[in-house]
Amino acid sequence: MTTLSLDSVFRRLRDTDAWRSVVRHGTASTNRNRSLVVFENLFLHVHPVKVREKTLRFTHTYWLGGIALACALILVATGVLLMFYYHPSVPQAYRDMKELEFVVDNGLFLRNMHRWAAHLMVFATFLHMMRVFFHRAYRPPRQFNWVVGVVLLCVTLLLSYTGYLLPWDQLAFWGVSVGTNMAKEAPLVGEKARFLLLGGNIVSENALLRFYVLHCVVLPVALLLMLSVHIWRVRKDGGVQGPPEAPRGKEEVR
Amino acid sequence: MPIRRLFALTSVAFLVVLAISPAKNALRSYRAYQRRFAVLAASRARSAQQARDFEKRPVAIHQIWLPQLDNRVDRCTTCHLGVADAVMKGAPPPFAAHPWTPHTPVRIDRYGCTSCHAGEGPATTESQAHGTAKDAGPPLLPVAYIEAGCGRCHSTATVPAAPLLSRGRAVMDRYGCFACHGARGREAYRSGAPPLSSEPVKTGAVWLRRWLTKPRDVDPNSTMPNFQLGEREIEELANYVLGQDVPEDLARAVRAAGDEPAGDAANGKKLFSESRCISCHTVEGKGQGSAPELSKVASAATRGWLLAYVRDPHAFNPLTPMPQYHFSEADSRDVVAYMEDEFRDFDAPKDILEPLRVNRTLAEAGEKTFRKYGCFSCHGSPGGRTAEKFGPDLDGIGDKKAAFLDFGRRTDLPRTLTAWLAAKVDSPRSFAKGLKMPAYGFNPEETQAVVTALLAFGSQPVPESYRVLPTASPIAIPAGRVGHLVDRYRCLSCHQIGDRGGDISTAPLTFEGSKVQRSWLVDYLVLSYSIRPILTERMPIFHMPREEATELADAIETLFVDPRVPEDPFQGRPASDVDPAEGERLYTALGCRSCHILGSAGGYYGPPLTDSGTRLRPGWTFAWLKGPQRWRADVRCPDYGLTDRDALRLTAYLATLHQPPAAAKGGK
Repeated sequence: MTTLSLDSVFRRLRDTDAWRSVVRHGTASTNRNRSLVVFENLFLHVHPVKVREKTLRFTHTYWLGGIALACALILVATGVLLMFYYHPSVPQAYRDMKELEFVVDNGLFLRNMHRWAAHLMVFATFLHMMRVFFHRAYRPPRQFNWVVGVVLLCVTLLLSYTGYLLPWDQLAFWGVSVGTNMAKEAPLVGEKARFLLLGGNIVSENALLRFYVLHCVVLPVALLLMLSVHIWRVRKDGGVQGPPEAPRGKEEVR
Repeated sequence: MPIRRLFALTSVAFLVVLAISPAKNALRSYRAYQRRFAVLAASRARSAQQARDFEKRPVAIHQIWLPQLDNRVDRCTTCHLGVADAVMKGAPPPFAAHPWTPHTPVRIDRYGCTSCHAGEGPATTESQAHGTAKDAGPPLLPVAYIEAGCGRCHSTATVPAAPLLSRGRAVMDRYGCFACHGARGREAYRSGAPPLSSEPVKTGAVWLRRWLTKPRDVDPNSTMPNFQLGEREIEELANYVLGQDVPEDLARAVRAAGDEPAGDAANGKKLFSESRCISCHTVEGKGQGSAPELSKVASAATRGWLLAYVRDPHAFNPLTPMPQYHFSEADSRDVVAYMEDEFRDFDAPKDILEPLRVNRTLAEAGEKTFRKYGCFSCHGSPGGRTAEKFGPDLDGIGDKKAAFLDFGRRTDLPRTLTAWLAAKVDSPRSFAKGLKMPAYGFNPEETQAVVTALLAFGSQPVPESYRVLPTASPIAIPAGRVGHLVDRYRCLSCHQIGDRGGDISTAPLTFEGSKVQRSWLVDYLVLSYSIRPILTERMPIFHMPREEATELADAIETLFVDPRVPEDPFQGRPASDVDPAEGERLYTALGCRSCHILGSAGGYYGPPLTDSGTRLRPGWTFAWLKGPQRWRADVRCPDYGLTDRDALRLTAYLATLHQPPAAAKGGK
């Protein structure tokens, strides 16, 4: 029997037609080839071709952007699963919440994952922003990405808030009542904004449906879109390590 | 490399965390219950096959889905696995079979569990289902109040299988709860409490003060609650009530009656007993007790008022259940003379009926107090009853969440709806200062009954297909003369017609026309006698003129009939042709005599049959013998399952029994 090393198995796999139809570069593990694989892949091309090990250190970024991204992915995955069990209608919404606990296999775990990941995402996004601010990482050439980041923070907060109504319990109802009343206090557009948000003048099934569509379609699409731009921009602006620093003036050496 | 080791470690930790949820899922308590049930049920099974079936049942969540009933899902049977299994009778909880009720366990698929027991139906853990967990939904209804569930669908006053609920509803009606509190279906409720307009000519300040202090001490039959009034409030109310203007006609009637000469107390005593006053009133506690105690009435009301009231009670209180007797002027004087002699509070101060010198300032304050406590809800007010109810509506009270209730000072109570309601009914003012609901002094059983009736007020009406409404009575009481007579003699205070009327009499009038012979009925109305000697509540002698009796009897014969009763069971033959001799043999063989008097012998539980040929229509006797329970569900007369032939013979025998009317009648 010929011994099959793991390497040879992988090599053979990479030589198959099917593999080559997806990854169109040879098997050679040269730097060029590796770079090409990253360049040509839709999912990987946002990532820098080369990452310095120094920048992966925890203290460099505190991994905050990564944590927020991981949360976003968990939220999309668990959110889609939750959508299988949830009806955005008044008699059904709260009951469905209970059904997750009472009969759906691992339903409570699913829901709790979604909930805790959401909390963590808001938290991580805030810290991420603070980290960027205190590291002065918003300066050119990253000024645009800072703006994208601010938009992402808003989308994150809106996602968190729209998700709050969906359990249709007392907390949700009053939370949204208070929140939309705050929107009403905005000058000039307040009343209209509230009406637009609620689809009416009170927190009712229209509001539930609106918040559901915002939470499950509009805002996630916006998030993924902006997120792609954000990460792509990180790479374009020189990756997490940033562009080479120009020699600093006196005040900055201090 | 530390970062890789960290990655490896966190990956393992992550997998462990991920494993926790499936593990918890696999160890859910209902699975253990189902395995234990399989063992227990197999050991109790009646056959080997049944035991195998129990053992082979897969572990799964069981549920009863009620799409007709708010899309309810009850998963109680996931753990309570034996509810519908006869072999589980007497098994330990949670596996025991459900005790028999008209709906369970047979129709459990239609009614589910939470419709009676409340609790969180869809839950699959004990603490969530029974509502003991902190974040749980509605809690289980304590078994003591379980009949509240019946009341959610059954809106009739009495529900045969729910005595406590029926009692609660009767108590709520009697004590006037709906005068202050609105509720769906009770919009038309009117309290029978007397209007107070004749009070100044009826009683005096001393009596009224006593009454306002504690009505039950003055009259144990009183339905007026204790308002726990302060001395000043009592004084104000007394001045207000006694300072009112009496309507001119009532004042004149009372004054004129007071000036009449005294009557003959000895004749009055006889009339008092003939009139069967204690079918409603009590005298020293003896009597039916729905109307006031009479033993001290002469110290509560002036002679003139008593006399005028006995002559025409409806002029004083249009809603009183008391009939207007057809006494002659002299007769009514005699009755009141008897009451003046005997029914007196000999310990009362001399001035108990002295009129009050009304203080205008106090009287004005009294009017405010009168409104403050909602007295007008029952007694009306000079401005008439207000459309708006004095107290909060009762709809939805049975579904109130304990968290929404104000427990106030009652820190001793468990935080549950049932405990709150029981305390509210028992001592309404104990929750906070300044509450207005008075104390009714219910005993614990009445409190339990009232709480049961209250819990039946759900926030949502149940679907049409589940509702049991009071049947709209097919029997209308005609307007005009007959209606006036039914009203004057207040037939409905004691008798039932359809589902209206009181429960003092055991003889509903719904099919009276099919039951008794017209000629007998006329005689009976003119001069009634006791039909069932065992009963205390008897038909009064109204001294009804014969024309009125004829008119009433005609109406009854025409209107109050039942198509199930054959017009002539003998089909044209005389009764003597249908073998009454064999009927007589049957009468003896079936032991009818143990309850019925015939001739000189027999039991006195049922009505005597001595004059059954004069009293009863043969069609009725026949229909009755074919199944007494068809006519009154609670009747004790056994259903012998007689063939038509035998029933007809017995009917023929009974139709031949006549006794000279004079001998049959008691009384005069």
